[in-house]
Amino acid sequence: MSSVTTDCSKSKSFLIDTTKCTGCRGCQVACKQWNQLKGEKTEFFSGEGYQNPPSMSEYTFTRVKFKDYQKHGQNEFAFYKEMCMHCNDPACASVCPVGAFKKTAEGPVVYNADRCIGCRFCMVACPFGIPKYQWSKAFPLVKKCTGCYSRVKSGLEPACATACPTAITYGTRGELLKEAEKRIANRPDRYYKTIYGKEEAGGTSVLYLTHQPLDELGFKPVTSRSLPSYTWQALRFVPGIFLTVGGGLSLVSWFNHRKERVKREEEQRKASAETHNGTE
Amino acid sequence: MTAAKIIMNEIKGYHRFLKFMMFLVALGALASAVRFVFGLGGTTNLNDTYPWGLWISFDVVTAVPLAAGAFTLGAIVHCFHIKKLEPLVRPAIVTGFLGYSLVGIGLLLDLGQPQRGWHTLVYWNVHSPMFEVSMCVMAYTTVLFLEFLSPVCERLGYHLPLRVLRWLEMPLVIAAAAISTLHQSSLGTFFLIAVDKLHALWYNPLLPLQFWLSAIFTGLSIIIIEATMVHRYMDQPNESELLEILTKILPWVLGVYLVVKGLSLAFLTHGPIFDRPGLLALFALEIGAGVIAPVVIFMKRKNREDDRMQLRGACLVIFGLVLNRFNVSMFGMIQPDQKIYFPSVIESLVTIGIIAAHVLFFVLIAKYFPIFEHHPETVDYTIPDGFRRTDGHEGHGKVSEA
Repeated sequence: MSSVTTDCSKSKSFLIDTTKCTGCRGCQVACKQWNQLKGEKTEFFSGEGYQNPPSMSEYTFTRVKFKDYQKHGQNEFAFYKEMCMHCNDPACASVCPVGAFKKTAEGPVVYNADRCIGCRFCMVACPFGIPKYQWSKAFPLVKKCTGCYSRVKSGLEPACATACPTAITYGTRGELLKEAEKRIANRPDRYYKTIYGKEEAGGTSVLYLTHQPLDELGFKPVTSRSLPSYTWQALRFVPGIFLTVGGGLSLVSWFNHRKERVKREEEQRKASAETHNGTE
Repeated sequence: MTAAKIIMNEIKGYHRFLKFMMFLVALGALASAVRFVFGLGGTTNLNDTYPWGLWISFDVVTAVPLAAGAFTLGAIVHCFHIKKLEPLVRPAIVTGFLGYSLVGIGLLLDLGQPQRGWHTLVYWNVHSPMFEVSMCVMAYTTVLFLEFLSPVCERLGYHLPLRVLRWLEMPLVIAAAAISTLHQSSLGTFFLIAVDKLHALWYNPLLPLQFWLSAIFTGLSIIIIEATMVHRYMDQPNESELLEILTKILPWVLGVYLVVKGLSLAFLTHGPIFDRPGLLALFALEIGAGVIAPVVIFMKRKNREDDRMQLRGACLVIFGLVLNRFNVSMFGMIQPDQKIYFPSVIESLVTIGIIAAHVLFFVLIAKYFPIFEHHPETVDYTIPDGFRRTDGHEGHGKVSEA
């Protein structure tokens, strides 16, 4: 979890080719079914995107965002499946005071609800805004995409990847990166030249291929350094600072007290010498 | 008369102001009960965009440096041996102890699962600044409680524990400074994870150092405010001569802070600085009114000696600090397209209640325990079992009585 990111090329990842996404939202339905998530009451809204529900929540771990654009004078849609990125070195896992988040060897970043104290630091830390809170409850917990860890452990693919007819490939990160690069090389006119998730936040287990520039689709620009390294560069000094301040102040106070004592003794000696002289 | 009647009679005798404070505290307690019945979502304006609101920004991130007086003054008086300031130490310890206890209460209200607060003691995650801060806050509250026990034991006439506490005093003062250094700075580390969220005006790798430095000057300023208020409204002697020493230290700390802030802004920021006029104005206000103005005020000797200017300068520092903590933990985190968060009535009532509780308990403690009337030379620590002190202890004891 420190500044050195562990090798994740063997862990399972998603390759989401947004150019192949038809916007059917089968992934959304499969996710709700597998995770037993409640449907949300939604209504049509205009403005940016036509996605439903309008935002991710405690009941929605993934959704397909819609982006309309013009191609050859025709209106076209681009789709972008939003979900937990399952970072190689997750910010949520590093900031959680009780270690409720864990990057598993298989790939998914999983959340242990029994440990969570509900401080919401994970929500502040996540660069992708993924962890959501049970705002409706008096004693809320965090909810987020599990990467279908239970399915993956028993050899199945995640629910969304299974349901998707076209766009999602599930496999090891190393292979998927190669595959993504191959696709870009083979069809340079079809793909934007960057794989989102290759470098973002130190690398993630969800990789995106797009046609449009990333920012036009609503992908957040994220640092390429692993996020926990930003806090660790300060936190690693903690034991040293504790000892330095403690030891330093001990020395200073010992020195000052000694100075005081010496001064007092000197005065006493002088005083007694004076009285001695006086009596002689 | 029953005990309840005695207490009721006692309360009836209190000043109107104290009764008002009690009312505010009761209101805050009621509001926190409402929070637990109806949930965080229903009673606060927090949501997935603003997972942290007033309770974290004020009750935790701001209240911790506001309670920094105890460790700063403790180190100055006991380690650097400026014994003149001793009369200020005890009130500072009471302020610190109350401050930290209330931080704990505020934090528990904000947690989704407060009944699991003890999990931090069991499931360690040393990579989390929050883990670091919660451990430190628990340790430091214990230290402050032990320091606070001295006047309590004096009041109750327990001599043996007093001897133990007195023997513990130096280790406690040093532990207090070391622990405070860690968690005051780690509160800044919190926001180092928000790389792409916190605006470049505040985000830089030296944020923890800035948080620590600002905690020191805040601690000093709070002592000035508290001593002045106590003189004005609680019939205590005017300590402005002692406060003058603090106002001499203040510009130095503020100056170092300003230099660190300037250098990190010039060389260590990642993004554009001038792209958000609103944030730029907040930043300028924080630095101008909260740092530069007090430096200018306290550079003049005449102002340092004048108790009204002392108070004004200290209030400016506190204003700057509060604004700084809100800038870092709230305003600076707002993205351009986000809705603006405003605390709900319940959130505000709880925070007001917490502030009122601080004032109320300080006055009550001062009323019933020897916080101000403390004169080290008059307190008799002898115990009947013939337990004798060594000479070395004698020197120690005299110093560490405040």
